[in-house]
Amino acid sequence: MSIFNVDFWIGVGVVSGIYGIFTLGLQLNVGFTGLINLGQVGFMSVGAYAMGMLVVDAGWPLALAFPAAILISIATGVLVGLPTLRLRADYFGIVTIAFSEIVRYVFQNAAFAGGNQGILGYDADWRVFQAWASGRLAAIGLGEVAQLPLLVAVWASLLLCLAALMALQSSPWGRVLKAIREDEDAAAALGKNVFAFKLQSLGLAAALATVAGFFLAMNVTYLYPSEFDPSFTFFGYAVLILGGFASYGGVVVGAVLLCALTEGLRFLELPLSSGQSGSLRFIIVGLILIGLSMFRPQGLFGGKAEMQLRA
Amino acid sequence: MTTTREAGEAILAIEAVTKRFGGLRAVDDASFAVERGSITALIGPNGAGKTTLLDLISGYDRPDSGAVRFEGRRIDGLAVHRVARRGVVRTFQLTRVFAAMSVRDNMLLAAQRHPGEGLHRLAFGRGSARRAEEAARERAERLMRGFALESKADDYAGALSGGQRKLLEFARALMTGPRLVLLDEPMAGVNRALGAKLLDEVERLRREEGMTFLFIEHDIDVVMRRADRVVVMAEGAVVADGPPAIVRRDPRVIDAYLGRKGDAA
Repeated sequence: MSIFNVDFWIGVGVVSGIYGIFTLGLQLNVGFTGLINLGQVGFMSVGAYAMGMLVVDAGWPLALAFPAAILISIATGVLVGLPTLRLRADYFGIVTIAFSEIVRYVFQNAAFAGGNQGILGYDADWRVFQAWASGRLAAIGLGEVAQLPLLVAVWASLLLCLAALMALQSSPWGRVLKAIREDEDAAAALGKNVFAFKLQSLGLAAALATVAGFFLAMNVTYLYPSEFDPSFTFFGYAVLILGGFASYGGVVVGAVLLCALTEGLRFLELPLSSGQSGSLRFIIVGLILIGLSMFRPQGLFGGKAEMQLRA
Repeated sequence: MTTTREAGEAILAIEAVTKRFGGLRAVDDASFAVERGSITALIGPNGAGKTTLLDLISGYDRPDSGAVRFEGRRIDGLAVHRVARRGVVRTFQLTRVFAAMSVRDNMLLAAQRHPGEGLHRLAFGRGSARRAEEAARERAERLMRGFALESKADDYAGALSGGQRKLLEFARALMTGPRLVLLDEPMAGVNRALGAKLLDEVERLRREEGMTFLFIEHDIDVVMRRADRVVVMAEGAVVADGPPAIVRRDPRVIDAYLGRKGDAA
């Protein structure tokens, strides 16, 4: 395969868009609320599986199953948050990662979720849409690129989420979140219901994870549990740290850079097995993170003052 | 009854409050009242239970027994933000500003009942959110001018000097529109001129707006000059409660507190 293969890079674009949406939710929690959410992938799998099961088992149209899945995922976020959001930051992180693993093992072992076979056949409506969109794109000479409709849909969603989050962050609501990140006791002393704001932040992150999960499901054509292991969340953290603390724009740039880099490694002619080059991916991510924390801890677009003043 | 705002009425009542930490009675059957429109000082040696008592009033902790009433209604056991919404605001011994936010945002955050802080309102009621924000900005600018913080409005609060942080924390507390302000050592870490300015402002607010203040302070001269009532605590208990001139002659007070400092009159 040539490095100029269009389908390949469009595939990278789709994956980076998915990571972008996923990590916007992390940024809302970590960068703007001070919630160390380590279970973001759990919300993504709940949303994706809910969508898949509503279509396959309940026969819902995809266009209805998707918003329903978002609501289910938000409800899950609230459910997880209710008993845990009063915990200190590090304990909250531990509980959320446990949550995402519980979800994964349940889906792996429960008959209703298809076990290790997963869920298949939820994307018929999407295929119809994609065929229609490809037909329209053919009219302007872009019909050959199979994944182009998905790429456009992912990136339109990503930019929409980005705009919405930036608007929220500049609102009085976003100001309260930031204050909670800085000092939640002082925020409470000014009459802010810290717990309610944290729940909202977690619920919104779960919704974003579900949007990412929807596109992931459309991209891979079937859902299986090992797609949703914690390394997905940690890759999201790598994107976040690379892009920058408390910067939504940085998330988008970080997702594109990290995905392009890790996928682009395939073009290096290395005498490695596919398993080995898969591991190399993580070695490189690790090295980037170490390098960043040494030379640019605020990430590419993070505010240095904002980070240092917190310390 | 139209006497709810009459001076002499208790705005805050501490009724037989006890708080234990393990075997220690940090607050031991304490009772006293704070009159509306008064400046009441809470003094006592280190470990007397003053800050614990402030925590019990503001909701950071709940008493093991006894009651705290604000304007006649019990507030002990309420969540911190609910106490604040009733009109009781506090400052901290070590100032707590939101360091990585601008001074102006620190102020705006203290606006109460701001519709822009509700997600549903941001989606379906932008007009009311915008009007509230404008009103808050105006109020914040006025307060920042009053405390000479207006030139720092766009700076990170974390970049302020210790004294300026103290002013910001006080201005921010006032931004909530409180009826009772609890100050935990407002003079600590502040130079005398700035401290005096802060207390001048306290006196003005009491005089012009009928605000009530309860403050913890170690500087006896300040307490004697500024407070109209002094509550003295020692080992968790209230040992004296009255006007400064009388309290400073109380032998129990001299024994428990003033005598140790060697500066009793």
